[in-house]
Amino acid sequence: MSEWLQQAIARADSIQDGFEDQRASSLALLKDIQWPTRKTEAWKYTPLRAVERSTAIFKEESPELEPVAVEGLEFLELTFVDGQLVSLPEELPEGLTIEMQESSLFATIKPERHVFGLVNDVLAADVAVVTVAEGVAIEQLLRINNLLSNGAQGHIRVVVDIKAGASLKVVENAEGQGASLTTAYTEYQIGAEANLEHYRFALQAGDNVAIGGSHFKLLEKASLNSSIIGFGSNLQRIDTDIIHAGEKADAKLNAIYLLDGTELFDLHANVEHAVPNCTTEENVRGIAGDSSRAVFNGRIHIHRDAQKTLAELNNRNLLMSNKAEINTKPELEIYADDVRCAHGATIAEIDRKALYYLQTRGVSRSQAQLMLSFGFINELIDQMPTAELAEWVRPIIRDRFAQMEVK
Amino acid sequence: MTEQIDKALAREYEAGFVSAVESETFEPGLDEDVIRRISEVKGEPEWMLEWRLKAFRVWQEMEEPDWAHLSYPKIDLQSVSYYSAPKSMKDKPKSLDEVDPELLRTYEKLGIPLVEQQMLAGIAVDAVFDSVSVVTTFREKLEEAGVIFCPISEAVHKYPDLIKKYIGSVVPTKDNYFAALNCAVFTDGSFVYIPKGTRCPMELSTYFRINEQNTGQFERTLIIADEGSYVSYLEGCTAPQRDENQLHAAVVELVAMDNAEIKYSTVQNWYPGDEEGKGGIYNFVTKRGVCHTNAKISWTQVETGSAVTWKYPSCVLKGDNSVGEFYSVALTRGRQQADTGTKMIHIGKNTKSTIISKGISAGKSNNSYRGLVRMNPGAEGARNFTQCDSLLIGDQCGAHTFPYVESRNPSAIVEHEATTSKVSDDQLFLCRQRGVDPEKAVSMIVNGFCKEVFKELPMEFAVEAGKLLEISLEGSVG
Amino acid sequence: MSNENTLLSIKDLHASVEEKNILKGLNLDIKPGEVHAIMGPNGAGKSTTGYVLSGRDGYEVDSGSVTLDGKDLLEMEVEERACAGLFLAFQYPVEIPGVSNLEFLKVAVDAQRQARGEEALTSAEFLKMAKEACKQVNLPVSFLKRGVNEGFSGGEKKRNEIMQMILLKPKLCILDETDSGLDIDAMQVVANGVNSQRDSERSFIVVTHYQRLLDYIKPDFVHVLADGKIVKSGDASLAKELEEQGYSWLQTEPTEDELED
Repeated sequence: MSEWLQQAIARADSIQDGFEDQRASSLALLKDIQWPTRKTEAWKYTPLRAVERSTAIFKEESPELEPVAVEGLEFLELTFVDGQLVSLPEELPEGLTIEMQESSLFATIKPERHVFGLVNDVLAADVAVVTVAEGVAIEQLLRINNLLSNGAQGHIRVVVDIKAGASLKVVENAEGQGASLTTAYTEYQIGAEANLEHYRFALQAGDNVAIGGSHFKLLEKASLNSSIIGFGSNLQRIDTDIIHAGEKADAKLNAIYLLDGTELFDLHANVEHAVPNCTTEENVRGIAGDSSRAVFNGRIHIHRDAQKTLAELNNRNLLMSNKAEINTKPELEIYADDVRCAHGATIAEIDRKALYYLQTRGVSRSQAQLMLSFGFINELIDQMPTAELAEWVRPIIRDRFAQMEVK
Repeated sequence: MTEQIDKALAREYEAGFVSAVESETFEPGLDEDVIRRISEVKGEPEWMLEWRLKAFRVWQEMEEPDWAHLSYPKIDLQSVSYYSAPKSMKDKPKSLDEVDPELLRTYEKLGIPLVEQQMLAGIAVDAVFDSVSVVTTFREKLEEAGVIFCPISEAVHKYPDLIKKYIGSVVPTKDNYFAALNCAVFTDGSFVYIPKGTRCPMELSTYFRINEQNTGQFERTLIIADEGSYVSYLEGCTAPQRDENQLHAAVVELVAMDNAEIKYSTVQNWYPGDEEGKGGIYNFVTKRGVCHTNAKISWTQVETGSAVTWKYPSCVLKGDNSVGEFYSVALTRGRQQADTGTKMIHIGKNTKSTIISKGISAGKSNNSYRGLVRMNPGAEGARNFTQCDSLLIGDQCGAHTFPYVESRNPSAIVEHEATTSKVSDDQLFLCRQRGVDPEKAVSMIVNGFCKEVFKELPMEFAVEAGKLLEISLEGSVG
Repeated sequence: MSNENTLLSIKDLHASVEEKNILKGLNLDIKPGEVHAIMGPNGAGKSTTGYVLSGRDGYEVDSGSVTLDGKDLLEMEVEERACAGLFLAFQYPVEIPGVSNLEFLKVAVDAQRQARGEEALTSAEFLKMAKEACKQVNLPVSFLKRGVNEGFSGGEKKRNEIMQMILLKPKLCILDETDSGLDIDAMQVVANGVNSQRDSERSFIVVTHYQRLLDYIKPDFVHVLADGKIVKSGDASLAKELEEQGYSWLQTEPTEDELED
């Protein structure tokens, strides 16, 4: 067992609060768990050296940090700094509540035996429970900010319960400075005929280590539209689980990763079709430049009863450099016959014909490359339902491409 | 409809008979002494025994892999007998006339006549019965062309330099648990050498038969195609119907030198166990080929048998412009489990690989494709295309796809696609409305699904494979 | 009405789909060589008639009788009905990837010849026939090598159906909305194919919503099917009448069951 994990367990042993029962069982599991190595399937391409060597500490006092502004949007902000909840929205719209209380959903939606999920169970100091009352549509976006100061360690946890017929838009925003370390897990239950528009932005490149997940449970006729955009860092790992637990639920996931330098980014997307008549559509696109490493694992699991499932996964990657690497593993596990499931994965470089075509029109090679790479990613950004977020993220991605180009 | 298809799938295993042959069989158990005795029975030189013992020590340090999508009780390797041979083979019959007629009858019953007049024209056969090669046909004719085709146990004596050079060169001893075990205890198998610039004048084929109870079969095949040569090799296998599981752990190594081509086809029809999953062969096989410059290796497999299949015929595309292909049909029914696929390791420039995998799951079976495509940093301009299709028949089976795609070269292109489908009521109805009975309709639809793979098989095998699927689907739909 | 000279005889046929009654007392007699058109509003049971006669799963006969050539059709399996001479041209022909048209047709023709006690055709004989059939419906011969209906356009699928009909030489052809989705030119090709197969022995049931197909395939009788039974019968002029008046006059109340189409 790693020293880092031992310290985490030791710290957990000393924490006491209202979640004792659930945490106690997570702690027991954690004490029993194997620290992942290259031979652990879920960590095959993602070494944990960055965690093992992390010097990030739990700070007694944290600086004041503000989340980035997004033009044209006023969020309901739920802000954590170094793992501590520092601010809640002053006024909440009717039907929306945020409480620091026990939730029966805690630790029920994310996978049971994920080592960092368990660490988060026992170390997340403040667990925020967001509830949207039945039939209420919250128009304003709720933003969960996970801000970390240089060298800090913090663990945050949010549980979101969207009752039947309600709707909510959530942005998960992570901003880590310097060599910080964080785990950030969010569990969502989307009630019958409820819907969730979801974003997870992990745009903090650099020395930080960020591990976390967004986990969704969809009840009957629920719908989810999720967009994940990540840059790599010292170690960036996101797990997402979409669990179809009620019939006729519909999920759409678009994910993008853009890596540069020696960054590492790992996205594990798992979809469980436990009941019949649900649909899933996943589009995942990534670009790896310089000496970076991208890892994608996309699993679709169709249970025995999940007849009439429609599930598709498409993963496309561009490899920009001789030193970069892309590892992708789309998986299908199917136990029902009357289903339509497909996945596709490609790794290639930029279409040479398109590149040539642009060049014949007078565009420089590097400019043409930039245009084509951006177009490849932008197709998914265009699909983001909240236009202001798309407007905001587009120039950030453009800058990223420009940087990658310089090297 | 499911019920009809299930009925269609319930079939007799035609190769399930036992031959009344008196055999000399080792007591079950595995230790260094057993390995020494195998080596002794085979009259092996000292270096071969040393190689085996080294492998055994490596194996003792290894653990049985558990990453495959398979579930079976742990195999007790101490309860397996590691050597069994018909007593009549002890005196090494010089010609067919001296071979026990019961052995010849066995192969005839399996559709592989070994008697010269009845032999299939154009196919040379090495017939392996439990732990020994019974007969190898057309040897003289092959020798005229300079082709060596003989039991590997014989090659150890006759061609020690070739064996020393190439055995374990493609699949290293420590490659995996089952390969290491095979290195220690292998008993027989085929050896092929095609000289430079030679196109092998006939198809070569090995037919493996397990007969004796409680034995494992651990054969080893080594094929070397020297520069600019070509060979097409076929492999078939069956076993009696028994309630106990039997272990088969083989190793196949292919070496395709510059500009050479090896086409390796398998029709695997080991006893699959009964409907409830009782009995059947545990089939753990390591097959790998290395391609030098401009060489090509093409694996084609039709897997319909075995209770458990664990098998990944692979290509190491070492030389520039080399080509690897994998065409597979895997049909599982009853309680069969298959975890099969391939690895394509692209090392050289402009290397190309194609993977076409068709999995058909029926009954309560589980059928997985597991594959790896790796583009190494030097694989400039390399290409891979992978297509994995699953067909599910009934709602009690499983079809799975686990592809690993790794690229470290920006100019390499990898494309992977997977789909799943079922035999639809509409398709079945259309066929029946045109007068085709449901059984024939299902087999026609399944055959259509597999067409891309069948067209890769040599003619004789394509017919056999088609029949095998048909038999598998027989008695079906009523 | 029914006598020895009747090819198909449907008597008081009641049938249901998923426990909904669709056919509610259908009566129809067809003599060899006759062409009967069945028209009617959506949901009247037109397509259901074809499926029930051909024996599709899920189409349950509740009561009544159907004989073909004096034999009880309802007792037969789907393929036995086909071998007995019943052919259904589908409205939406299904695709069967990997199974070539040629292979499929050869197997079907062989099965039907075998059922009639005829010798199997050699591949060469069959290929010749198939090529001729292709020509008759303006399908390139290359279509024989393609997967059954795989990637065919709507019109090509319909022509492929007629091509099969030409090869299988059935006694009774049911054309289920064969005109749907076709332009005038494509429809003419299909109609010519059908007309070339008309003779004194072969009978047709032409199921259609619109009158226009009947300009090309002239029916001897026209029946109006509404709410699961024939409410009016007449000669070809009835089709014209319907064209002008529509179907609304037939219905005392709108049908709710839009099960078809």
